[in-house]
Amino acid sequence: MNDMRIEKRAIQMDDVKFRASDVQVYYGNNHAIKDVNVEIRDKTVTAFIGPSGCGKSTFLRCLNRMNDTIDICRITGEILLDEEDIYHPKVDPVQLRAKVGMVFQKPNPFPKSIYDNVAYGPRIHGLAKNKAALDEIVEKSLRRGAIWDEVKDRLDEPGTSLSGGQQQRLCIARAIATSPEVLLMDEPCSALDPIATAQVEELIDELKQNYSVVIVTHSMQQAARVSQKTAFFHLGNLVEFGETGQIFTNPTDPRTESYITGRIG
Amino acid sequence: MTTTLFFLVLLLGLTGFALSWQKAGLIAGDNPSGLHSRPTYHGLYSFLCIVLSGWAILILLTIIGSAYINTTLLRDIRSALPDAPLIEHQLVLSDAKAIAQSRIASRTDELRQVIATDFGKFSTARFWITIVLTLGVALGVGYRCLTQITLDWRARNRSEKIIRLILVAMAAIAVLTTLGIILSLIFETFGFFQKIGWRLDKFLFGTNWSPLSGVHSGEMDPDRVGAIPLFAGTFLITLIAMLVAVPIGLFAAIYLSDFAGPKTRSVVKPMLEVLAGIPTVVYGFFAAITVAPFFRTTGEAFGIQIASESALAAGVVMGIMIIPFISSLSDDVINAVPQSLRDGSYGLGATKAETIRQVVLPAALPGIVSAVLLGVSRAVGETMIVVMAAGQGANLTANPLEAVTTVTVQIVMLITGDTEASTAAGPAFSLGFTLFCLTLLMNIIAQRIVRRYRELYD
Repeated sequence: MNDMRIEKRAIQMDDVKFRASDVQVYYGNNHAIKDVNVEIRDKTVTAFIGPSGCGKSTFLRCLNRMNDTIDICRITGEILLDEEDIYHPKVDPVQLRAKVGMVFQKPNPFPKSIYDNVAYGPRIHGLAKNKAALDEIVEKSLRRGAIWDEVKDRLDEPGTSLSGGQQQRLCIARAIATSPEVLLMDEPCSALDPIATAQVEELIDELKQNYSVVIVTHSMQQAARVSQKTAFFHLGNLVEFGETGQIFTNPTDPRTESYITGRIG
Repeated sequence: MTTTLFFLVLLLGLTGFALSWQKAGLIAGDNPSGLHSRPTYHGLYSFLCIVLSGWAILILLTIIGSAYINTTLLRDIRSALPDAPLIEHQLVLSDAKAIAQSRIASRTDELRQVIATDFGKFSTARFWITIVLTLGVALGVGYRCLTQITLDWRARNRSEKIIRLILVAMAAIAVLTTLGIILSLIFETFGFFQKIGWRLDKFLFGTNWSPLSGVHSGEMDPDRVGAIPLFAGTFLITLIAMLVAVPIGLFAAIYLSDFAGPKTRSVVKPMLEVLAGIPTVVYGFFAAITVAPFFRTTGEAFGIQIASESALAAGVVMGIMIIPFISSLSDDVINAVPQSLRDGSYGLGATKAETIRQVVLPAALPGIVSAVLLGVSRAVGETMIVVMAAGQGANLTANPLEAVTTVTVQIVMLITGDTEASTAAGPAFSLGFTLFCLTLLMNIIAQRIVRRYRELYD
C-alpha cells in the first residue's frame, strides 16, 4: 500500500455510511445483540471479529434487513444508512437490499448459467435498457470480481460447475452487478482454500475504492490483512471498535486482548 | 399335520438355539473373549440350520408325496376304466379322496371304494414317513450343530452367510414375480396377435373397437380391434386431469412451502394428504353421482349439451384425486431447495415472487417434473373413476363433453364380462401390455430428464 492511498483514505474516513445506535436483537426469548453502537464508514473495510455465536453475523444481517426473513427475530434501536432509518416503515427492504449487497458464507450460485447469475440482479432492478448494456454490466462485474478471464469463454455453463473459489468470486460479481453502495460479507472465505482466499482478499482490497465493505471473519489474520476498522463482538456485546492496527496491537479492553492472544474464544 | 410339523420344527430350532448358546457359554468359561463368535451367534447358527433343513424336507416330502399318490392312483383308475376320458379319471380320484376323508362324494361305486381304501393306506404311510424324516433330519442337524461348537468355530461368519442367502432369495422373489407378470403379459399378447393374423397395424391404429362381437371359434376380426379410441380416451381424460391437478397442486405447494406459516402448514398439509387416502371407488361414485349431473345441469343452463357420462366429469374428479400427489411431492422438493439460494436472491434485492419464480422453481424443476409424471402414470392407470363416470362405448372424439372410454375400462369390461376367459383375455392382455409399455417409456423419459437437470445440493 503506497502513501497516496493512505492519505486518500484518511480524507474519506469522515463519511459515515452506517450509524447504528442502541441496537438490540432478540431471537424469541434469546437476547442476541445488546446495545450495539457503531459507525461504519464509506470506502473502508470494516471487519467484525469474535468467537462463534457472539452475534457478529446477526448484526451484519441487520444492516440489510436479512433478518426480516426470520419470523422470530425482533430488532429495536436505530440503524441509519446515509442518515436515513432503514427500519422506518416507509423503507422497502427490497430496495434497501439492492443498495446493500451481501455475500454469504457458502458460495450459493443460482442453478442458472454464469451469465444469468450475474445478470439476475440487473434484470430484476431494470438496470440495463438492452442486451448490449446488460452484456456490459455482466462483463464489468465479472472483471471486478476477478473471475472474467476464467469464465469469459463459458458464460453459458451453469454457475454450479465452477470450483468453490470461483463460485464465491462469481457470487461477489453477482453482488457487485446491482451497483450496491455497501457490500456485506459473511465469512466469505470460510469455505475456500488458501489460494482462493488470497484472491478474494485481493478483491476486497480493490472493492474498497468504490464501496464500503463490512466483513465478518473468524480469522484474525484475515481481519488484520484486509480491514482498516475492526469491531470485536463478545456474547452479543460490541466490546471494542477502532482502527485495526490499534485493536490488534494495543487493545483497550481486556476481553479483546484475551481473544486476539488466544486465551478466550 | 403339515402345520403342526412346521411349528414342531420351529420349536426344535428354538431349543437348538438355547442349547448352543448355553454350550458356547460353558466352553468359554471364565474367558468369554476366547470364543471366536459370541454365544448368540452359535445359537443363531444352530437355529437357522435346524429350521431351514427341517422346513425344506417337510415341503419337499409334501410335494413329492401328493404327486406320487396322485399318479399311482390315477394309473390304477386308468387300468380299471381304459375308455373313459381324463376328466372322468380325475372325478373318480376326487370322489375317492372324499370317501376316504368321509366327505360327500358324487357317487360311491366299487371302484371308488377300492381307490379310497388305497388312498387311505398311502396317506397313513405318507403321514409317518413325513413325521419321521422331518423330525429325524431336524434332530440330526441339531445334534451336529451342537457337537461342532468349539472355541474357534466360526458361527458368526456362517450364520451371516446364511442370512445373506435368505435376503438374496427374498429380493429374487420380488424380481422374479415382476418378470413372471411381464412374461405372462407378453405370451398372452402374442397369442392375441396370432388370432388377428399379426395385423399389428389394425390393433395400434384402427379406430373401431368391439373385439368380442361375432366371435365364435376364437378367431378375431382384425377390423374390430382398433385400440385408438381407447388410447385417445385415456389421453383426453389424463389431459383434463392434469389440467386440474398441476396448477392447483403446484400453487398449493408453493403456498405451503414459502408463504404459509408453520401453524397453517401443520393444518393444511395433512388435510391435503387426506385426499390421497380416499379410496378411488369413492371418487368414482362421487364423479358419477355428484359431479357429472352437476356438469349436466350447469351445461343445460348455458345451453350446452353435456352427456351424463363425460370425459370432463371423470377427468376433473381424477384431477382432484391427483392433487395431493403433486402438491405433496412438489412441496418436498421446493422445501429441499437450500435456504442459502433464497438468501442469495433476497440479498440482491429480489422480491419473494421473483425469488420463487426465478430461483426456487428452476432449482426444484426436476423434482416437480417427476411429480407431474408420477401423476400422469396414476391418471393413465386409474380405473374406478373412469369405469363409473367416463362411459363404455369406444367413441373416438376430442370433445370432453361426450362420453369416452379408456383402456382400463375396456380391460375391466372384457374380464368381468360374460365371454369365456380364454377369448376375452387376449385383447385384455394386449391392452394391458401396451399400457405397460407406455407408462414404462414415460417413467424412463422422466428419469432421464430428472437425472440430466438435477442440481446437487448438500
